[in-house]
Amino acid sequence: MAGIWVFAEDYEHNLELIQGGTELAQKLASKIVVILPHNAGNDEKAHDCIARGADEILYLPPLAEDEDFMACIPLIVAEVLQEKPDVFLIGSSLRGKELAARIAARLNTGLCSDCISLELSADDQSLIMERLIFGGAAVQRVSIPTRPQMATIPPRLFSPAAVQEGRTGNIRELPPAPPSKVKILGKKTRTHEAAALTEARILLCVGRGVEKEEDLTLVRELADLLGAEIGCTRPISDEMHWLPEECCIGLSGIQVKPELYIGIGVSGQIQHITGIRDARIICSINNDENAPIFAVSDYAIQGDLYKVLPLIIEGLKK
Amino acid sequence: MPRIIACYKWVVDEAYIRTDSSPELDLEYADKKMSDYDRNAIEEAIQLYEKYGGSVAAITVGHPYDTKGVKDALSRGPEKAYFINDPSFENLEPAQTAAILADVITAKTEYDLIICGEGSSDLYAQQVGPRLAELLDIPCVTMVSKIDLAGEQLIAERKADDGIETVSLSLPALLTVLPDINSPRIPGLRDTLAASKKPVIEIVKDELSGNFAPCLQVLASFKANMERNGQKLSDEAADIAFLLDTLQSKGIIARGVK
Ligand SMILES: Cc1cc2nc3c(=O)[nH]c(=O)nc-3n(C[C@H](O)[C@H](O)[C@H](O)COP(=O)(O)OP(=O)(O)OC[C@H]3O[C@@H](n4cnc5c(N)ncnc54)[C@H](O)[C@@H]3O)c2cc1C
Repeated sequence: MAGIWVFAEDYEHNLELIQGGTELAQKLASKIVVILPHNAGNDEKAHDCIARGADEILYLPPLAEDEDFMACIPLIVAEVLQEKPDVFLIGSSLRGKELAARIAARLNTGLCSDCISLELSADDQSLIMERLIFGGAAVQRVSIPTRPQMATIPPRLFSPAAVQEGRTGNIRELPPAPPSKVKILGKKTRTHEAAALTEARILLCVGRGVEKEEDLTLVRELADLLGAEIGCTRPISDEMHWLPEECCIGLSGIQVKPELYIGIGVSGQIQHITGIRDARIICSINNDENAPIFAVSDYAIQGDLYKVLPLIIEGLKK
Repeated sequence: MPRIIACYKWVVDEAYIRTDSSPELDLEYADKKMSDYDRNAIEEAIQLYEKYGGSVAAITVGHPYDTKGVKDALSRGPEKAYFINDPSFENLEPAQTAAILADVITAKTEYDLIICGEGSSDLYAQQVGPRLAELLDIPCVTMVSKIDLAGEQLIAERKADDGIETVSLSLPALLTVLPDINSPRIPGLRDTLAASKKPVIEIVKDELSGNFAPCLQVLASFKANMERNGQKLSDEAADIAFLLDTLQSKGIIARGVK
C-alpha cells in the first residue's frame, strides 16, 4: 500500500493537507502518513491527526535551539527511500518550500511548486497538477513521471480534515538528526496576522501611489468606516516596511477573496493581481489612465487618490 | 577572499502577456529580460566583492540565442560569464536546470559562495537554488535579506513565516536572496561597453556529463483570464457617489455608520 505523505510547518495547514491526502488516498487505496514536529511527550496532536485521517505519524526528532530545521532532511529522505510513498505534499511556507526542493533534489524527483489544483489522471492514477507561471498571467499543467510525486501546497487549498469516529493509527519517532551545517544564532519572531486579511470581507490595498507612511492614516480612516482590513503590495511591505510582510497580497504573499477590494495607488502588476483574482468586486484608484489594474477592475476610478479618498470618506459619513 | 558565482535566468518578460480572454499563451512577440530577483543576486555578489575582494562570475543555462542576456549580466559587474547553451535548454524544468548547473560548476569552476535569486520571474518555482546546493552537497540558506562575511564564516539573515533568523554557516555555501537585500544599480553605457569586452566561457551540451531528463512534465500552458468588464469612473464627487450607491445597493457597504 503506497503512501501519501504530508508535512506542514503550521498545524492548521497540516490538517488541510490531511484532507487533500485523504481525497487522493480513497481513490488510490493508500495510507496517509503525517510528519509532525517533535512531540515533547505530548501526543495530543498525533491523536488528533489520526482521528482526522492519518494512518501513521512520524515524529521528527527534537532539535537543539541552535539547530537549523533543515537538519531533518536526511532523516526524511532516508524514510522516503525505505517506504517509497507515491505522493508527498508539503505546506508551502517559506521553510516548507526550501525543504521540499532539497528533498526532491536528493530523491531526484519532480516537484510542483505552489500547486493550485491537483487531480488523478483517469488512465494511470498519476497526479495532474496546475500551477501559476509568469507571475500569474498563465497556468501550467504538469505531471511527475518520477516517484514520489511531490508538490508544495499553499494554505486553504483544502479545508481542514474533520474528526471521524473510531480511527486508529501508528506513532513512530525518527532517529536523532545529524548536526546541521547551518546554525541559528538568533531569532526575531513576529506574529502572524494574515488570517484577518484572508478572511476580510472588505479589503483596502495600499500601493506605491501612497506617497508617505503618514498618509496611511487616511487609509485607516476609510478602513474604520468600512470595517475593512488593510493589505498592501510587495514594495510597501518588503521595501518600505510600512506594513508587516504578511500583509503583502499576491504571488509571493497571500491570496485573498474579499467581497470588495479597493486598490489605492496600485499599478496592477500581474504578480499582485493574481492574489486578488477571486475578489468579487475589484475597485481601483489610480491617476494613470494606462494602469494595468484598470483592465481587471469592475470599477476603475481614474484620479488622484488624495482627492478620491476624502470624497469616499465624506460620502460614507453622509 | 570569496570567489562568488551569481546564477541568473534570461526570461520572457511577463509584461508582454496580455490579460485578455483568449486562452492561448502566445510568447512569439514577447521580449526577454533579466529575471527580476536575479538582478539582486548579481548586485549582492558585486557588493560583497566591493567589500571583501575576491571575484564574481555569472552563470546561466539557456538557448544559444540568449547572448543578449549574457551581456546584460556582465554589464551588472561580474568579470566573466559561463554560458551553458543548447537549443534544447529553452524550457527546462527546475530539476534539469539545477543538475546542469551542478555539473558545470563542479567541473569548470572554483567557488566559495553561490548566490541565486529567491525565484525566477517566469516559473517562480523557487527550486533551482536549494536543489543546486543539495547536488553540490554544500550548506544552503534561502530567503536571505542580509549577508556578512568573516573569513570562512558567513552570517545571514533569513526570512521565515514566523520571523527573521540570523544564521551562521561556513563556506562554500549557497544562498538565495530576497529583493529587499539591495537596490540593483542600473547599468550605464560604459558598463554595457565594458561588458562586451569581458570573457564569456561557452559550454555546449557535449561537454556535460550526466542525465538531465525532466522530472516534471508540462502537459499544457494556457493564459489565465482575469479581465473584467470594468466601468470607468472619474474622481468627481458625482462618480464617487454613484459608486457608493452601487456598492450599497449590492449590500457590500453600509452608509452613515459614523
Ligand atoms: C517573482 C515576483 C513576485 C512578486 N510578488 C509580488 C506580490 O506577491 N505582491 C505584489 O504586490 N507584488 C509582487 N511583485 C512585484 C510586482 O511586480 C510589482 O512591482 C508591485 O506589485 C508594484 O506595486 P505597486 O503597485 O504598489 O507600485 P507601482 O507599480 O510603483 O505602482 C504605483 C501606482 O500608483 C499610481 N499612483 C501614483 N501616485 C498616485 C496618486 N496620487 N493617486 C493615484 N494613483 C497614484 C501610479 O500611477 C502607479 O500605477 C513580485 C514581483 C516578482 C518579480
